[in-house]
Parts: sequence; structure tokens; C-alpha cells
Amino acid sequence: MESPEVPSRNLLAVDGLSMDYATVDGRVRVLENVSLHIEKGEIVGIVGESGSGKTTLGLAIIGLLDTPPAEIINGSIAFEGNDMRALNPVELSRYRGTGIGMVFQESLAALNPVYRTDTQLKESIEILQRTLKLNLSAKDETKMMVEILNDLRLDKPEWVLKKYPHELSGGMRQRVSIAMAIVEKPKLLILDEVTTGLDVYVQNRILNILKDLNRRTGTAMIFITHDLMVASQICDRLYVMYAGRVMEEGSTERILDAPAHPYTQKLFAAIPQGFVDSPPLPAPTGEAPDLRSLPTGCKFHPRCPFVMQKCKETEPPVFETDDDRNASCWLLEKK
Amino acid sequence: MFERGSGMMNVVNDVSFHVREGETFGLGGETGSGKSIIAWVLVGLFKPRSGSVKLLGKEINFRKKTDVTYLRRNVGIVFQDPVGSLNPRLRVKEIIKEALVASKTFDRRDYDSRIEETIDLVGLRKSSLDAYPRELSGGEKQRVSIARAIGVPKKMLVLDEPTSSLDVSVQAQVLNTLKELKSKLHLSYFFITHDINVMKYMSDSLGILYYGKLLEVGRTYDVVTNPKHPFTVRLMSNVPGLRRAEHKEEEDLGERGSSPTGCVYSKVCPHVFEKCSNSPPMISLGSDHFAACFLHDKSS
Repeated sequence: MESPEVPSRNLLAVDGLSMDYATVDGRVRVLENVSLHIEKGEIVGIVGESGSGKTTLGLAIIGLLDTPPAEIINGSIAFEGNDMRALNPVELSRYRGTGIGMVFQESLAALNPVYRTDTQLKESIEILQRTLKLNLSAKDETKMMVEILNDLRLDKPEWVLKKYPHELSGGMRQRVSIAMAIVEKPKLLILDEVTTGLDVYVQNRILNILKDLNRRTGTAMIFITHDLMVASQICDRLYVMYAGRVMEEGSTERILDAPAHPYTQKLFAAIPQGFVDSPPLPAPTGEAPDLRSLPTGCKFHPRCPFVMQKCKETEPPVFETDDDRNASCWLLEKK
Repeated sequence: MFERGSGMMNVVNDVSFHVREGETFGLGGETGSGKSIIAWVLVGLFKPRSGSVKLLGKEINFRKKTDVTYLRRNVGIVFQDPVGSLNPRLRVKEIIKEALVASKTFDRRDYDSRIEETIDLVGLRKSSLDAYPRELSGGEKQRVSIARAIGVPKKMLVLDEPTSSLDVSVQAQVLNTLKELKSKLHLSYFFITHDINVMKYMSDSLGILYYGKLLEVGRTYDVVTNPKHPFTVRLMSNVPGLRRAEHKEEEDLGERGSSPTGCVYSKVCPHVFEKCSNSPPMISLGSDHFAACFLHDKSS
């Protein structure tokens, strides 16, 4: 873990975050002791299967979760060294958009169906003007919108501006959602499953556009996905989540070369790679646990091939395997 | 070969392929290419306007009820969305029983034993028999769908994106089960997926569909390692791997769109030339490999 004494170096520092949801069945711990750090210009991936807490973490960072039902029990979220939890709603809304932006998975649901692209984008531009105390003419606004759509490599941006969401293809729509977020020039962009459900080459084009945006503007990104292959294409570092916990964290290359946590190893092994005559996939048995009734000790132990008595009793702390990787697994304990 | 007209639109046109006994035929293509329509035809949910479907040598006349019944008795289907395709008000055992009752091939007294046998085959616990779909996980729901499809023994299963709504670890488990079932029950599969990695792993032969047209068919190894149609070439070069690949920036060809006349891919094809204003025939490239592209036409 990076030392907590110098949080100002990080653009975003989440430390020891634990969060509960109040449900009809009682309180459920959805995030447990999650720490995540992002520097300026970095692309960081949060990967995990459904129910692992990826989206909850994203929403908690941008402050979009209502209390109740969500309640932060422990830990801190600091953006540019400022504690987000200490901000009042007015200050928080100033953060959103120009500080942290978010793009959601379902572009059809995220865009207002009765607004044309230009009306949609103007909403973001207005917020930008209010924050930066700008006064753009309608002409300047249009110019700005065309430029952004051009940057996102949408051909015929003027045509796209006059279209309703349902008139655009999935890839175009997703780029309009990205445009809405980047109009405000956020320092950190949270992308939640933005390529899920798109055809492969549309997916690749969006990844290229995001990499390009990152290189040109230095926008830091949190890339949330269940797809390890997509994450490996774009992220500098990965956080692997399971049952609301970070199981492993490190540079993408190291994790790909030698995953330290058995869960990460199993995730990679589950991806089909060979032809039809390949042996069965070494998938982990069982399914992700229900957050309402988690196992004792390590939350992965019932599915882990290397389970030891200790794993059933005590949840492992984070162990450092080398200078750039951390995993929470008893196998890595140095005796 | 079938052609299906609905109103003004020809959704699937002149598509030919065969599924060999004991093998898996994979059908790939992008969203909206018509993959599911073909699945529906294969189980008699959709009548083609022209062309023919033969099952075990017998030609199916879609106007004859007995033929459609014959088709459905031998071909089962598993749909993509396990939530939408299971009746939320029935318990698992009732869902499977419905299929047994409808087939009229089982004695009432054998229902329970057959249901238990099927549940066991697909790897579900006995305790799930009394559960409602909402009490099951995504992987378990999809196993129920498979159990319903094979409750009455089948010759072939149509699997329409059976794992695309599942997490990768659960997908791996279901794919393993499907492979096991295939050899245990001597099944053939018609496997629809947009995921090339899954297709590679599951299918012996495959076809690539684009705007209702089959652009390339062949043995999986040949098509994956040596794609011939420009669309397939583009598709295969975009298959995600576990590597940080810097994707070559191709010219913006547009995302989709078909040409109303001639080759359906000509609107976005980088190699388009005069001939492409005609509809290309399936051109043989040897060893069961075919591509519908004039680039490979040696006759001219």
C-alpha cells in the first residue's frame, strides 16, 4: 500500500473504506476495507464479477449514493487531498462534473430519450460555464460540441447533434455519453462497463479513443469492468475485487504475468483460449457468495483450491509480494 | 437455405450451412445480424419463406404440423436470457415437467424420475427442484434452461448465446457442462455467440453472419487462423486477448450499415470494387471453407 502520510500526491485516495447498505433483510456490508489510489493521468481498472462491489465503489467515489440506504462506516475518500465526506452538498456538486465525471454502462438509459444530442450536451456546458464563470455564445457552444464529438472520432458531428438517442447506434451513443462527461474536463473519469454489449471492433475503437483522450489531456480514469481482457487492454494498474473486497492490486503486466491471488489465477484460467479439442476450463467451483451470508475467514476460501485451516478462520490482511503488487491471501504470508 | 420476409424486410437471406452429427456448428456475427432468427427457424418458431431445413435427412415442411412437431421433438433450444425464458411462477421441477408433458412421449409415472435424472445431468442439486427461478443464481437458471431442453431426449440443441449473461467463472462451468453433455448424450449443437473466444473453444465448424447474409463458413480452425472475407478478417483481428495490444488505427469505416444492392458488406468494405454491386456467391476455398466475396473469385 502507498504510505498514507502523503495523500496529497494522489489525485484520488480511498483508504480503508467500509460501507453498508440498509436492506429489508438488515444491514449488508457491501465494501470492506477498500483502499485505492490514483495518480494524475493514470488509468486504473476495477475488475470483478457481478456483485463484487465495483459499481458501488465507483458511485461512492463520485458521491452518488444516498444515505440511507448507503452508509460509510469507516475510511476516507480524498480527492486532491480534500476529504469528500466533509463537503456539503453544494461543494460536492461542484466536484462532480469538473472534478470527477462518470459514464454509465447503459447509454440508452443514461441519455434522456426526449433530448437531442445538442440539448443533452448543453446541459453539461452550462454547468461548466457556471463553475468556470464563462459566458459562451450559442455559436461558441456549438463549436465546442462539434470539437468534442470530432475528438471522439464521430464522423458527421453536426448530424449527430441533431439526433435523439434512439436514432444513434450503440457505439455512437456511448461516445455521446462520454462527450457529456468530458465536456466539463474532469480530472478523473469513472467509466462503468462502457464497452459492455458493444460489438468487438466498436469496443476496440472506444478503447482507442479513451487511451487517446488520456494521452492528450492527462485525464485519469477508473475503468470498471467484468471483462479482464478489456481491462488488460487499457489499464496501467488493476484492482481485482471479490465480495466487496480488493483481493489483489498491482500493475497490469505483473498481474497478467503472475497473478498472486488464487481468485485472480482462476479468473484468468476461466477465459476460453483454445480450440474445440482443448481440455475443460479450470473454472473455480461454485459461485460468488451472497453478501448477506458471507463465509468466515477469507471470502474466497470455499472456492479456493489451496484452502488451509487458517483461511477458514481469519481473513487475510494485505501482503506485499513485491514492490508493485499486493494481495490478500495467506499463501503470501512470509514466515 | 431459407429466406424470410416480414413485411418489407428481408432479415435473413439465402443462408446455407449444415450441422454434422455429433459436432458443434457455431454462428457468429454482430448484434442485429439475424443470428436468433435462424435459431427460431430451427425449432419451428419462425417459418422461412423459402429454402429448406433437413433434419437427419428428412425435409421439414413448415406448413405441416407433424413435421414441426418432429422438428421440436428432436431439437431443443436454450435462450440467452435465463430470467425472461423461465416462468417465474413455476418451480424448477414444474418448468422441466412442462416440457415432458408437452412432448406426450413420457408416461405420467416416469415424470419424477426423469426430472431427477435431468437435474443430475446438468449439474444441479436436488434441492433446487423446489426452488423458484428467482431463488437461483444466473448460472443455475441457465442450467434449468438446459435441463428443460434435454428433458425429452434430443438429437440437437440450439444454444442462443447461452453464457453471454454470465460471469466468466460461471460461463466456464456452463461451457464445461455443455461439452460433457454433448459427448454423454451424443448431441449436436448449433451454438450462437458473438464471443469469438467462446466460439473457438466450442465449435467444430462456424459461420459468420452479417446483415442476414452468411459471409464465410468453414472449419473453425481454418476460419480463425486464415479468415478470407474482409469482414471476418476485421472481426478476427479485433478478438480481445490478455495482452495490451495497440490496435492499428483503421480508417473509420463506420460501424454498420448494409448496402441495399450487391454485397451486404460493400458499404464499409475497404476492398470494394465494381463487381461488388452484384451479390457475391459462396466461393469455395477448398476443404469445406467458403467465403461470399468476389476477391476470391477465380472464375473471372
